Amino acid sequence: MPPAASVEPLQAALVISAAVAEPAADVTAAPVALVLPADCRIAAQVALKQALMEALETDAIVLDGRAVERADTAALQLLTLFQREVKARGSCLSWCGASDALNEAAGLLGLTQILELPAAALA
Amino acid sequence: MSAVDLSQFHKTFFDESREGLDAMEAALLALDAGSADTELVHTIFRAAHSIKGGAATFGFTDVAAFTHVAESLLEEVRSGRRPVDAELTELLLRSVDCLRVMLDRSSSGQPVVDAASEDLRAELVRLVSGATAAVATPVTSAAANVTGWEIVFTALPHLLQTGNDPLRLFRELQQLGRLEVVRAFIVDAAPERLAEVDPTACYLGWVLHLHGNVARADVDAVFDWLDGDCELVIHPLAEPPVATVAGVLAAAEGSPSPLPLPLQRRRATDTAAGSKPESAAVSVEGSSIRVGIDKIDALINMMGELVITQSMLSEIGETFQPSQLTRLREGLVQLERNTRELQESVMRIRMLPIGSIFNRFPRLVHDLERKLGKRVKLELHGEHTELDKTVLEKIGDPLVHLVRNAIDHGLESPERRRAAGKSETGTLRLDAYHEGSNIVVQISDDGAGLNREAIIAKALHSGLINASQELGDADVAELIFQPGFSTAAAATDLSGRGVGMDVVRRNVRDLGGSVGVRSVSGKGSTFTIALPLTLAIIDGLVTAVGDERYIVPLISIVESLRLRSDSVRRIAGGGEVFHFRDAYLPILRLHQAFACADAVTDIERGIVVVVEEDGRRVGLLVDDLLGQQQAVVKSLEAHYRRVQGVSGATILSDGSVALIVDVGGVVRLGRPCKAA
Repeated sequence: MPPAASVEPLQAALVISAAVAEPAADVTAAPVALVLPADCRIAAQVALKQALMEALETDAIVLDGRAVERADTAALQLLTLFQREVKARGSCLSWCGASDALNEAAGLLGLTQILELPAAALA
Repeated sequence: MSAVDLSQFHKTFFDESREGLDAMEAALLALDAGSADTELVHTIFRAAHSIKGGAATFGFTDVAAFTHVAESLLEEVRSGRRPVDAELTELLLRSVDCLRVMLDRSSSGQPVVDAASEDLRAELVRLVSGATAAVATPVTSAAANVTGWEIVFTALPHLLQTGNDPLRLFRELQQLGRLEVVRAFIVDAAPERLAEVDPTACYLGWVLHLHGNVARADVDAVFDWLDGDCELVIHPLAEPPVATVAGVLAAAEGSPSPLPLPLQRRRATDTAAGSKPESAAVSVEGSSIRVGIDKIDALINMMGELVITQSMLSEIGETFQPSQLTRLREGLVQLERNTRELQESVMRIRMLPIGSIFNRFPRLVHDLERKLGKRVKLELHGEHTELDKTVLEKIGDPLVHLVRNAIDHGLESPERRRAAGKSETGTLRLDAYHEGSNIVVQISDDGAGLNREAIIAKALHSGLINASQELGDADVAELIFQPGFSTAAAATDLSGRGVGMDVVRRNVRDLGGSVGVRSVSGKGSTFTIALPLTLAIIDGLVTAVGDERYIVPLISIVESLRLRSDSVRRIAGGGEVFHFRDAYLPILRLHQAFACADAVTDIERGIVVVVEEDGRRVGLLVDDLLGQQQAVVKSLEAHYRRVQGVSGATILSDGSVALIVDVGGVVRLGRPCKAA
């Protein structure tokens, strides 16, 4: 995936999140992009889970995977389970970009579509 | 693969492999008996080797891989590095069984490997000295003509905590071939809510297709360190990989990670995979027969004779003069002889030695000895006695049952034998010989004989007889063939499976044969099965009903008689019965049953043929008896459809068609009358 490709959805996501942010301004949890850490491996998952749990309380959740340099199965699994719960609650999850590393790992594990990563959206 | 369609050879491969397994088994049993014959070891080795080679050639990789390990073990025996002991032969015998199952599964297109076969393979691998990997590699490289592997990989929760990451495994798999994630799924055990999720536990599973010429051992090596951390099922990919959209996309992008298939397609493949084994198992291979070249040569000789006779006759026919009448008669006699010989030879092609059934028994006896703690010497006689292939295929199970019975119930334990003053080893003898147009198979043991008291007690208990009845030995013996009869006090896994002697008798009867028993208390019992040599020809009585001809199989006829009208009683419900040997039998008018016009309706003018089936008798009213004839049975079902009361058709000497009466069906037709 060329880096340029991830820029466009990023801008789109920003626009959407901004649009959502305006009317929801007085709601307690504003949709802020949750940034996934650079080393998004098993050791970081407990903290990530905590962050995701909090994000669950908002209606429109935005994830930012652009900074991810290393990801493992634990990370993608957590995101998959998170996505499942988001769907179950009727909320919506969008991405403001995902790094190559994240895309590659998700692709290899066959989770790109379930996660609706930007790459999958383009494909 | 080459352009040659190898699947046309599969049947031959399976047949030959099964023969090879039979040979292996026979040799293993001989080895087990304490023989240190190197020739036997060679026989076993050769059989294993050809199965492996064939399996590899035809792409049955799992069979090849399994056989290879067994072969490595045998190689050690052959080179004298490993002694033959009971444990080894037992393991190899189990491998033979396992390979049989694997071949059966391969031939019906089902997944070949299961937990049992994998366990056994692992056991073999453990036994083979040296490194496991070194053993497995050569096989699979020889057998790598597969298009790839389907890997169903389900992580156990602690997988990630052991430091293993599926991501790394998948990367390794990618090095081997094109990896396609068909499906990634969350296991059912995963918590519903994110809050309960342990981020370090693994809840995922994958269905992967690894396309390409990849050795099984290489796939195994990837998962080598995951023993106990995941559930893993690996099958060869049956079909060449379908070029999925995802696959094409992945290839086009040059991306190493194909996208998963859409959900719908996944479902479709799931159900297809789920239903496949069933439908495949149903499909029956066209059966074939292997004929000795001598039989073919005999046929060709006879054909030659027939052609000579025919040319002689046509020469006479062209310039016929009354003076040549003697020569014409001679020619016709010769033609008749040629035809009869030809018929016999053709029938002989279908004849196979009963040895192929007998050969199952050494193994059966061996297993039963161990299981029951008895000692049995098996004697086989008349293995070369031939009988029709159809009969042969159907007689196997009844024989197995009788042999099991003889060992389970007939022969006593060594202690009891010693107490009775007999040798500790019991003798079980199987005999086969021809008697007229029948083949007779006898199963005799020198055990305790039928237990008269136990049989009577049991029969009383199940209401087959009442206490006042006086029973001769023959009557008692007859009781064990009654449905619902089983004397086994405690049901072992041999008896008590709902298959009794009544089933044996029914199976034998279905083949047009009979089964009986003779028993001497303390000396043993002998079961005798008599079967017609072939089902293709029956001896029949030609009867006339109106303008039609019906053939009644001779074997079911008890008697034919003319009745006086005063001996026939009409009973309520419209049935007719007559008195015959202390019983009243229903009369079944064949002209009514088969709706024939112009038939004799007056019982006094017709003839009643008493037929018997399953111990039930009825009298069939026909117009006349025309004579006895051998009838070549033609299937009515194949040419028309199944008709109640008719088992087939034949062509009479005048070219007309006669139907063969299915006595069982007709008796059933007559049953309501009897009940009334």
